[in-house]
Amino acid sequence: MRNSLKKVYLLISVLMVVMLAACGEDNTNTSNASENSGGPVSAKIGVISYMTGPGAAYGEAITNGFNLALDEINEKGDVKIELVIEDSAGKQDQAMTVAQKLMSSDDIVALLGPTLSTEMNVVGPEADINGIPIMGTSTTAAGIPQIGEYVFRNSIPESLAIPAALEKAVNKYGVKKVAILYGNDDLFTQSGFDTMKAEAEKMGLEIVTIETFQKGQSDYNAQLTKIKDLQPDLILASALYNEGAVIMDQARKMGIDLPFVGGNGFNSPQVIEIAGEASDGLIVATPWFGEKDDPKVQEFVKKYESAYGHKPDQFAAQAYDALYIMAEGLKNAGEADRDALRDALAEIKDLDGILGKFSFDEDGDVIMEPTVLIIKDGAFQQFE
Amino acid sequence: MLGVILNPYHLQIVSFILINIILGISIYITLSSGQLSLGNAGFMGIGAYTSALLTINFDLPIFLGIILGAVVAGVFGILIGIPALRLSGVYLAIATLGFGEVIRVIFVNWESITQGSIGLSGIPHMGRELFKTFSLTGFDPDMLGLKNNQFIYLLVVLTLLLVNILLIWFFIRQNKSRVGRAFAAIKMDEKAAESMGINITYYKVLSFTQGAILAGFAGALYAHVMAYISPADFAYHRAVDILIFSIFGGSELIWGAIFGATFMTILPEALRFISDYRYMIYGVVLIAMMAFRPQGIIDVSLLNWFKKKLKLKRGGSLGIRTKKYN
Repeated sequence: MRNSLKKVYLLISVLMVVMLAACGEDNTNTSNASENSGGPVSAKIGVISYMTGPGAAYGEAITNGFNLALDEINEKGDVKIELVIEDSAGKQDQAMTVAQKLMSSDDIVALLGPTLSTEMNVVGPEADINGIPIMGTSTTAAGIPQIGEYVFRNSIPESLAIPAALEKAVNKYGVKKVAILYGNDDLFTQSGFDTMKAEAEKMGLEIVTIETFQKGQSDYNAQLTKIKDLQPDLILASALYNEGAVIMDQARKMGIDLPFVGGNGFNSPQVIEIAGEASDGLIVATPWFGEKDDPKVQEFVKKYESAYGHKPDQFAAQAYDALYIMAEGLKNAGEADRDALRDALAEIKDLDGILGKFSFDEDGDVIMEPTVLIIKDGAFQQFE
Repeated sequence: MLGVILNPYHLQIVSFILINIILGISIYITLSSGQLSLGNAGFMGIGAYTSALLTINFDLPIFLGIILGAVVAGVFGILIGIPALRLSGVYLAIATLGFGEVIRVIFVNWESITQGSIGLSGIPHMGRELFKTFSLTGFDPDMLGLKNNQFIYLLVVLTLLLVNILLIWFFIRQNKSRVGRAFAAIKMDEKAAESMGINITYYKVLSFTQGAILAGFAGALYAHVMAYISPADFAYHRAVDILIFSIFGGSELIWGAIFGATFMTILPEALRFISDYRYMIYGVVLIAMMAFRPQGIIDVSLLNWFKKKLKLKRGGSLGIRTKKYN
């Protein structure tokens, strides 16, 4: 009895020693590779993503996008990237701890994520102080890249998307009066509203009313009745797709057949699924259009679909491009060094991705031409 | 050497544990007089926003901001505590839950001051401010072999640790005092306590307000550790989290709240290696606890058993002692 126990202990300790040795070897390997300047640059990049909790679908799309790009990049062999993916559960404090974890490991040269703008507001300043480049792939709120010079993003902010959509809609329909409807308890929709209001005022449109709603609300008749009475030419709705689709449905039932202009959060195929025919006439500007007549885009869609069984959304596409941007930065930097990578990233210009031609401005924000789409006959189409 | 042990990641977790311990104690105090409050997230929000706004807009020193945050939360505690006295049990829980939501909705809608759901960023960070003062005196973390950010978080942890020790010491003392006995008597039987000459109104409001002050205090600390707050931080999820700290650890003893807060903060981090399943395990742990140990992990008998063990190990030659409860 005692003997067999002893054997078990021995076995366990041997196993542990082997595991430890394996870990150690792994470490020396990577450090050797990064010192070796002759071969391709190899680097570890930390990913902070929202993978458990109510918004886990975003995190999943994002990590799928990263993984797809990762395989392609490593296959090409210009740079060798390893991703260390960590979950933040959509909470600021978890995003912060996990960012600390990633940042304190010296061989991680950059961070991708976190998913939410609220998380970025906490993690961004810390990354900036520690001098590690961080790039948000889904953070669209105003003021994110302005946090510091190490903070970047490749997701087009509301301040770029909404004006583009609004301008095209106004020109097409000869709009003079608009009504605004927005969710006031969410960072995303609130910041979309701020842009809408500023832009409408700049374009000299008359804002007939501003109505608010809350997350998870199911009855919008009060707001819509008021809007109907005021007879605007266009409705600006800063809503996430779950609420937005319901709003469109109720508006159409009430006999409002005006076009809607939405923000980034409204842009989802789910709108068509939820609202059906009622979703016709929704205009959004997006960096991502899966039906675009571009071989690169079509190849990505095909690959993504065969790997994960469904069509990629905007978040997957942005993540995919983000890793390519990082790879380009690493290649230009020529070494796995945080500061060198930051400088290389800042200089990226007209990089061809599946979203289009991509450049950073002096703050680390996106310069890009978004595509304006409209839902017509139950499908997204390019809006001319 | 010191630099290797003090990883900013670990320091960060420790600082969250210490803040959560204060939150755990805040609910323990209200529970110790038999009141179930779910408004602590609201009080936490009041403390956080008060301190953040004062330090951002009026350049108040952080420690003053934190104290004022706790005081304002305490004032609200008195205001809510007095009318809420008429309620008990579930009704009090519902009323305080409502209060917490009202506070959150005010933060969302009072945009001119709180910036609505965008949240307040640029709150002075406790560690960085402390670091600045240290730098002025010519101190360089390099002397200890530490990096700047390690030193910053070390300062945060040490400050919080000091605060925690003082608080725990104070509440253990209070429990052994007239006030603590009064709380316990009210918890056991309100009518009996009243007939023994205990001023129920006074003691109930006192315990409710103490809870509010502590929650506000923890909220203010949270604001200065995160450097960013938004109304979503103080939603009812937070109230439930706080309640779990105390219920899981055991609500009879202050050690229960401390243990619960520590364990519940470490658990999701420790389970990181199984990523997708970690919150499932979190849930399973809670259900198992409810099924097998509804009074919480640490209760009086466990503590006594532990003490006896300890005494036996020391030789137990000190003779018979009278039983002590803390």
